[in-house]
Amino acid sequence: MPSLLGNVFKGWSDYSKGIEQGGNQKYEHMFSMSIDLDKCTGCNACSTACYAENNLAWVGEYKFASRQSMHWMRIERYFDEPDVGSSDPESLDRGASFLPMMCQQCNAAPCEPVCPVAATYHTVDALNAQVYNRCIGSRYCANNCPFRVRYFNFYDNAPTAWPAPMDQGLNPDLSVRSKGVMEKCTFCIQRIRGANETAKREGRELKDGDIVTACQQTCPTSAIVFGDLLDKTSEISKIWKRQQVKLGTYKQEKENKDLRGYRIFEELNIEPKVLYLERVREV
Amino acid sequence: MSKTKIDRRNFLKVLGLGSAGAALAGCDMPSYVTSDEGKENIYSYLAPEEYVIPGIGVWYASTCQQCPASCGVHGRVREGRVLKLEGNPDASVNKGKICQMGQAAIQGHFHPERIENPLINGQKATWDEALALVAKKSGGAAWLTGAMSGHQRVLIDAHRTAGGNARHYAVEVVNARPWEDASLATLGDANPNLHIDKARAVLAVGADFLGTWGNPVKSMRDYGNFRSAPRGVLMSIEPAMSMTGANSDIWVTARPGSEAAVLMGVGHILTTKHGVSVADMPSAALAFADMTPTKVLGLSDVKEEQLAKIADTLMANSPSLILANANHDTAKVAQVLNMMLGNVGQTLTPSAAITAEALLPVTGSSKDLVEFAMDAKAGKISSVFISGTNPVFLAPSKLDMAGALAKVGFKVAIADFHDETTTACDVVLPASSALEAWGTHVPVDGSDAGEVYIQQPLMENVHANTRGLGDILLAVAKGAGVDGLAEFEDYYGYLRTAVSALIGSDLEGDWNSILQKGKAVTAVNHSNFNAGGDVALGFSEPAAKAGTLTLITSARQGLFDGRHANLPWLQEAPDQISKAVWDSWAEIHPKTAAKIGAKDGDYITITSANGSITTRVFIYKGIHQDAISVPMGRGHTNYGLYAKNGVNPLSLLDASSGDRQTTELLNSGVSVTVKPTGDNRHLVRLMDVDSQHGRKLAATITADQFDRNQGGA
Repeated sequence: MPSLLGNVFKGWSDYSKGIEQGGNQKYEHMFSMSIDLDKCTGCNACSTACYAENNLAWVGEYKFASRQSMHWMRIERYFDEPDVGSSDPESLDRGASFLPMMCQQCNAAPCEPVCPVAATYHTVDALNAQVYNRCIGSRYCANNCPFRVRYFNFYDNAPTAWPAPMDQGLNPDLSVRSKGVMEKCTFCIQRIRGANETAKREGRELKDGDIVTACQQTCPTSAIVFGDLLDKTSEISKIWKRQQVKLGTYKQEKENKDLRGYRIFEELNIEPKVLYLERVREV
Repeated sequence: MSKTKIDRRNFLKVLGLGSAGAALAGCDMPSYVTSDEGKENIYSYLAPEEYVIPGIGVWYASTCQQCPASCGVHGRVREGRVLKLEGNPDASVNKGKICQMGQAAIQGHFHPERIENPLINGQKATWDEALALVAKKSGGAAWLTGAMSGHQRVLIDAHRTAGGNARHYAVEVVNARPWEDASLATLGDANPNLHIDKARAVLAVGADFLGTWGNPVKSMRDYGNFRSAPRGVLMSIEPAMSMTGANSDIWVTARPGSEAAVLMGVGHILTTKHGVSVADMPSAALAFADMTPTKVLGLSDVKEEQLAKIADTLMANSPSLILANANHDTAKVAQVLNMMLGNVGQTLTPSAAITAEALLPVTGSSKDLVEFAMDAKAGKISSVFISGTNPVFLAPSKLDMAGALAKVGFKVAIADFHDETTTACDVVLPASSALEAWGTHVPVDGSDAGEVYIQQPLMENVHANTRGLGDILLAVAKGAGVDGLAEFEDYYGYLRTAVSALIGSDLEGDWNSILQKGKAVTAVNHSNFNAGGDVALGFSEPAAKAGTLTLITSARQGLFDGRHANLPWLQEAPDQISKAVWDSWAEIHPKTAAKIGAKDGDYITITSANGSITTRVFIYKGIHQDAISVPMGRGHTNYGLYAKNGVNPLSLLDASSGDRQTTELLNSGVSVTVKPTGDNRHLVRLMDVDSQHGRKLAATITADQFDRNQGGA
């Protein structure tokens, strides 16, 4: 039977496998996402869809200023372009660079081995899961996340975020998190579960396109693709293959250097599973 | 087949089958639907209504009413509540996609500050009392609404016709009016069908099609295809960076008000350097010849090489598309360039409109806002219905909208929230949210799809005593004695009959399929372009001299014109450019900041001839040195708990009367002076840095590299 210590040891063992064997665990699925930064307009549709789908609490200006906001998916905006340079010191030559940033569901996730109670662990779907009931709020995981995509409930946000009757609009498929627990992007686990159960009920295997995350669904430019990397026929597998990006390495060796696929901070050997496609600009 | 194995869920289910543990089956789908073993005799809930399956969301089609674009949506309904909106894939405008404003409609729907009961002079009243008073005092009433289409428009027109044909003022400050007027003048078609996806290059001049201009979701969808191989090039000319500018390959900043000159400068280079012919448009040819790069530089600070780069890109990437909405002059130049470059017929095609003209959209403008204020002040309006717009908030203080409304004898607001306008009204009729009401909407996209979108209630009213806009319009029209409405008990009955007439069938099956798809498809009239004539191009030099500051009131997807300021999700969605939340800010160039002695987070007072506002600065290089940009949307004085912060830049604008060319507020600008107050407080935003500090976060490759690998994915 799993015990607390057992959970912790299993987490460590999975983590070391992730790092030493390139994430070669016995996964049933390996969900992954790709985001084409050349199509992303930075419009916020994805992040607002995430608020609606995942019962994210809004926190107000004061808490936002204290970095206590709960936006699982945020759009970062940069004005410099280290790769193509800028020529005019007084004006921008091009637009901004937008970067949708959420949990990268690392296969060797640095957040996992530091959790003293194994509240965050790797699932058989290769997802980095957070067990709210186990979480004791040590915040070690957030401290260890290089992407800063874990959000801690410093307060019980529910009463202010969903004053009646706003609470009627909560998604009953997942919980409202209370004070003292960590939360983060789950790749819409409730949708994954739902699609799994539908497939099971219909007596078939899960197929590509069954699961659509909220951000992917709403993205007006269709910049986001989601799917199972273990399904070699899925769109997401094809994109990873076409971009010559491989799992199990911290340094990609591509035959075609012009291909746009890259993983952020893969040099940290954490095996992020979100593939970004470089933005393209005329120079 | 799925693998048979005993996991925790299945184990519990098996346990439940053999014992009194039926409730445990509630951990999964209710077992009466089916279970793995094919047994269907366990009920985990009390028997629900037919078609309601506990735990399973059902999606119903409706139409989004968060902005005038009217995208088709699907609402997920579970246990009688609508929980989430997604785009309707059957709606040809948005094809399954919606923007953040659409996503946030749920929050407005369940908002704690909705108006719940009819009010007469601020006091709670019954519907009968309110409607009786309205019927008695609203004879010959004018209508003041936002953009409006479908059968709601039909009822408003019927009410106006019966009552002496008072005017319908349609107010939208964020609009495409300059483009529409210029297109009508040059092509004979106010609303040409745009094909951004087919263009190889797009030049946007004050037409923020990725943000708020036209139908942003449709444009963004097309933009996604536009960026696929072969990749299109996006260019922008504007004083302050917009969403479109923020995604541009080539971004050129111009002094506010000089956009037309810059575009003429592009025309100059096209004719002189590239030999593009304007022989059949002698006046335009003259204007282009006159606008030399030196002159453009003096007017706009745009350098010759920038003009040449734009012209070269347009020539190298045909067909292109030039979209302009900065002002009427600029939009006209844009259409002339489109004609010269052969884009007309390729990326701009004649519009088609449904044959049922009575349903066509009344697009809004600021001109109607200004004219309403003037007419009201002149005592020409005895009574008015106000719905879907907030004139007191939108009108520049110079118009004195509150004073103008005071001159109107009887004012009725049809609204779901209290705002600056409802408090000035005699009667307030509480409207249902857009997700609780029936309606029809015709999108303004010029396509020949012939679609009329159906808005159907996605759940019962959250507040029992509210009524749908259509129901209110029907009751008001009946009260005014409009013929032919007596047989309809409610708006649903009216709509059912009207839509049946529209599609020529009243079969139950056809109606159900319309509701299922969220649209009725009807016949269209194709129009033709009437281009080829000479076009006189004008450019009036902006009043503000170089070195002085002009205030620009930018529009952003999010709070839009201020109507969404009461939605916390949108208040907390960081602004796309500044990344600020929950408060206003003023964007200025670092050199301007140095000149006035302001640093990041300093409060400054911005003063025009019409008043002043005080807000914090956000310093960045995406703005012209002579411009200061304050996005609109905040600065409400009476729009609830969540809309208290910020300032309203619209109040400073100069609303000159009469002249159509300058009445549009969106890109009009006004001369201002700026002074730091000495206070400083950190501007709260998602990120305080603009630099990636050399890390590979949002990486970029050149278009050459992209072309070599044909886009990869």
